[in-house]
Amino acid sequence: MNDLRLVLRNLFGSRSRFALTLTGITVGITALVVMMSLGGGLRAQIERQATDLGANLIVTPKGWCAYEQVKVLSGDRLPDAILPADVEAIEAIDGVAVLPYLTVGSAIGNEPVAVTGIRVADTIAAKRWSVAEGTAPSDGESGVLAGAAAAETFGLTVGDEVVLRGEPFEVLGVIEPTGTGDDGVLFAPLDVAQRVYETDGRVSFLSVSVADITEVDLYAQRITDAANVAVISDRQLLASVLSVVDTVGTTLTVIAAVAVLTAAFGIINTMLMATLERRREIGILKSLGSSNGRVFRVFMLEAAAYGVLGGIVGLLVGTAASHVITPLIAENEFTAFVGGARVAAVPPVADMVTILFGAVLVSVLSGVYPAWRAARLAPVEAISYE
Amino acid sequence: MNDRLTLRGVHKTYNGRSVPTPALRGVDLDIEAGTFTCVIGPSGHGKSTLLHLLGGLDRPSSGEVHVFGEDLANMSDLQLARFRARRVGFVFQFFNLLKGLEVAENVAIPMMLAGLSPREQRARAEELLEAVGLSEKAHARPSELSGGQMQRVAIARALANDPDALLLDEPTGNLDSASEAEILGILDGLHSAGRTIVMVTHSQDIARRAERVVEVRDGLIA
Repeated sequence: MNDLRLVLRNLFGSRSRFALTLTGITVGITALVVMMSLGGGLRAQIERQATDLGANLIVTPKGWCAYEQVKVLSGDRLPDAILPADVEAIEAIDGVAVLPYLTVGSAIGNEPVAVTGIRVADTIAAKRWSVAEGTAPSDGESGVLAGAAAAETFGLTVGDEVVLRGEPFEVLGVIEPTGTGDDGVLFAPLDVAQRVYETDGRVSFLSVSVADITEVDLYAQRITDAANVAVISDRQLLASVLSVVDTVGTTLTVIAAVAVLTAAFGIINTMLMATLERRREIGILKSLGSSNGRVFRVFMLEAAAYGVLGGIVGLLVGTAASHVITPLIAENEFTAFVGGARVAAVPPVADMVTILFGAVLVSVLSGVYPAWRAARLAPVEAISYE
Repeated sequence: MNDRLTLRGVHKTYNGRSVPTPALRGVDLDIEAGTFTCVIGPSGHGKSTLLHLLGGLDRPSSGEVHVFGEDLANMSDLQLARFRARRVGFVFQFFNLLKGLEVAENVAIPMMLAGLSPREQRARAEELLEAVGLSEKAHARPSELSGGQMQRVAIARALANDPDALLLDEPTGNLDSASEAEILGILDGLHSAGRTIVMVTHSQDIARRAERVVEVRDGLIA
């Protein structure tokens, strides 16, 4: 006999309650892991996306906030607010290469789909896309180049037709997966998109590469001198967007933490029930010479077991679930604000250890009050209890 | 003093929800070590309370309790727990075995509490179960045993740490006469071997086997 044997026997003594309480803490930890990997996945995806822009400067209309800047990286619809004259003025500056983007939207069936007008050949070269099937549309051609995820989601293959603003477009090519938000977008030639969406030559934003990266501030100055626009560097953009992402991530984590807290009350409840149910047994143990401290310890070990087991199972289930759930969240209309994060990031080992440690800590704290109640039970009172 | 169980002017009042209930009202009692004493009397007159005080399961409201030289009235909870683990063994009417544990594990609990190694626990539990004739039931669950067998396990458990005294509260109250005879046989054997036995009982027949009968009535020794 040892304390552990007693603890196991107590845990398995009422199997259904053990299972339910364990489920509670497991669900909490699972939620925590899913939310954290969702946040982490989003962050990783944004970072990849920013690198993938291949630009040093982003030109936006004046007065954009971080929320709109996220959309530069996620391919979501943005207002078309940069005038053709401004685009021309910027392109006239020596040493800059400009790629204009017009982000619009459409729907296939009832599903929204992101559509972006680009200078096809320039953008393919700048982003180093490779076209997996078919070919890219030429300027002026009513055709689209589909991102890999968009093609898969809507079952598009080369030769299919999609309707944008009432006008038929042929799917001419599909891009190899890039692991960025571009995968979820249909790309059309800029001039065609501008015509169909009636933007009068306006675009949403520009990405600008400069000839001499050491003079990037100077180029930014020249751009704002030449046109009525705002300029931010890719680093500023990334920092600004990541601050939004991290806020989302923190919010998600807090929500999950509430789930863990709820589970903690489940443990307290179960352990309090156990002290009531086992009053008599506590009395027996005391009559056999068990000290209060010993009773306290057995109850605390029982509570800790929930944290250890729930933590481990929660980590496993959470990691598995985040691979299943993350793509669903990214594709759902209501949760699409988290963008194209279709790939979950498994939380780093350090986070896993923290979660497990936290789970044990929460369950141990949950055990303190019930264990204290059990320990101070007077043996005679406990034994006389029927 | 070291060879007896002594109560001096012992009062015990339970503070119930409404009114305080006196259970013992000034008891003086001396029990010699090695004797077989039966405590008789009507239900609710303080027999069990007397037993609990002798075993350090409870403290008197006032008065002195000395058992084998130890001053129980003034001990801390921890000291009382240690006293119960080593100096006395309790046996109750309803056996009070822990279900979900094997018979041998039930017997080993007091040894665990006294800090014996698992190996020592196993060896001693085997020995004790053999002494009460239940070697073959070592790995059974309490629920698989008859009442008489459960009470034999409870006695084996009470003897786990070789206590000086065995304190029994109606040990045969829930048993048929054959099982009762078995239990009483075991107790006679333990008494002959020199162990102090204090047993609460309703039965005059059983009380006749004791060397001494103490009657408790209205919280006093009659």
